[in-house]
Amino acid sequence: MQGPDGMESSDAALVARVLHGEVNAYGALVSRYRDKYARYAVHMLGNREDAEEALQDAFTRAYRSLARCEDPERFGAWLFRILVNRCRTSGARRVRRGQTFVHDETALLNASQEHPAEQTMWREEIDRALGELSADQREAFLLKYVEELGYDEMAEITGVGVSALKMRVMRACDRLRILLREVHSG
Amino acid sequence: MRSRTARGFLTVVLVACAFSGAEAQDPRIGNRLDAPTRKALSALVDSAKAQGIPVEPLMEKVYQGLAMGADGPRIVTAVRSLTVEMANAHRALGDVASADELKAAASAVHAGVPPVELGRMKKQSGLRRSLTLPFTVLADIVSRGVPVQTAANAIRALVGAGARDRDISTFQRNVQVDIEKGAQPQAAAETRAKGAVTTPAPKPEKREQE
Amino acid sequence: MADWGRTTLEMIVQELQHPVRLDESFDRRVMVRVRRTYAEHRPRGVAGWIGAAVSLTRRPAYAAALAAGVVAVVTVGMLSSRSQIVATGGPIPVQFVLVAPEARSVAVVGDFNNWGLGDTALVAENHNGVWSVSAPVPAGVHRYAFLVNGKQWVADPTAPRASGDDFGQPSSALVVEGTVE
Repeated sequence: MQGPDGMESSDAALVARVLHGEVNAYGALVSRYRDKYARYAVHMLGNREDAEEALQDAFTRAYRSLARCEDPERFGAWLFRILVNRCRTSGARRVRRGQTFVHDETALLNASQEHPAEQTMWREEIDRALGELSADQREAFLLKYVEELGYDEMAEITGVGVSALKMRVMRACDRLRILLREVHSG
Repeated sequence: MRSRTARGFLTVVLVACAFSGAEAQDPRIGNRLDAPTRKALSALVDSAKAQGIPVEPLMEKVYQGLAMGADGPRIVTAVRSLTVEMANAHRALGDVASADELKAAASAVHAGVPPVELGRMKKQSGLRRSLTLPFTVLADIVSRGVPVQTAANAIRALVGAGARDRDISTFQRNVQVDIEKGAQPQAAAETRAKGAVTTPAPKPEKREQE
Repeated sequence: MADWGRTTLEMIVQELQHPVRLDESFDRRVMVRVRRTYAEHRPRGVAGWIGAAVSLTRRPAYAAALAAGVVAVVTVGMLSSRSQIVATGGPIPVQFVLVAPEARSVAVVGDFNNWGLGDTALVAENHNGVWSVSAPVPAGVHRYAFLVNGKQWVADPTAPRASGDDFGQPSSALVVEGTVE
């Protein structure tokens, strides 16, 4: 969404406009962050449907609390923290319902279209291995390696101390190594 | 009545037509403006757009002038003043200010409040609240004789203390009534501001964070 | 992790970093929810201000003004018991009240109705000298005035003055706005 001078509006400018009653300006923020955070949600929750629900929920909650966003220039990071929490809640609900980790069918479809069957299998293996991690370990691994956050940022988002996060990342890598080595050797 | 967004869009369309040739005219203006007036107003509107200033308040000023029986040159003067005032407000407040904030800020500038003072208030309050009403009240109490710095200090203190719009509105009415009863404007504003800042506002209900 | 080749980790991360695209209907679904939230919190009605308007006419200053036959203007809906975001799509009902026993006609004109041009003036109804009209006013700051008998411009003595070039006539400022608290 452009400002009056034709330049793309910053997050802060869009947040200001929403707070002043221009609800449609929020759509620009949704478009800006939709795909970026969909990836995390899909890998964290293991299926697109749950991921979309968590992401929609995060955007709606962010809208409701928008006046409490203390640094609108970093709206994206603030939104991401909300999404991480939503994924935790959604993940907990799935565990209680006894659902297993389901693969991201669309990603698999894309992979199979772009790459031979071997690539698709590799993707399936990764997804399955991710699903075998505990939620804490999966979250830490995704934030560190896939979303490429620093440990300080991860601590701010998750509320978990840096030492604990490092431990979770290390254990996630150890577990993935074992799971994927078993597959390779199997 | 149309939403503000729809009215804003319609305003832009009508502005394009209002001051151009006979084939496309704003029916509210009709033939009430002569050619030199139309040309001058068109130039002012173009200048405002180039500076990123909302155009709707300028059109509202034109309609007001026509309704009040002002002639063309008088209307041009009024619109030019408003354009300058809004441009000054825009420079002080930046892009984060809403159109309504700019309009209210322009009133304050017209009343004599330095734009830098408005910018200071905006920076202090952040993005979380609109300053449309505080700026409106600031313009009002200055126009009633409260010295500019006293008025600015009072409003800044109220906003900084977290006073809501209704509290600032009450402050304005109290100052007005005090002055009408014969109080010295500076004394009225300082006394009422002190009372409004020190009287704690009721705490809002705590909401679930996320 | 020392014996797990960097290459393997890189391959995993590379795979997981493939973009995930959601289609545009996602945006629409989010905005439906957002607009619903917004509509649920939109303030309605100004009943609470009517009492305030009536009590104002009992103040000594206004009683004296009435006795002198001066138009006393009371504007309702000046501000906010509102504490929610106001929708751009949702004007707020505002009642304008004017006590003018001697007037023959009263209209309300301002920024919100193009100052009455094109026959948009709000014509007030007379009830024993109390003139009133209600209208939805969009969120924002508006200049307005009362036009008595088609020619006398009257500002609202209880509302902030509109500051700015007013062509030598008085007018008032009305702010219709809410903030999330």
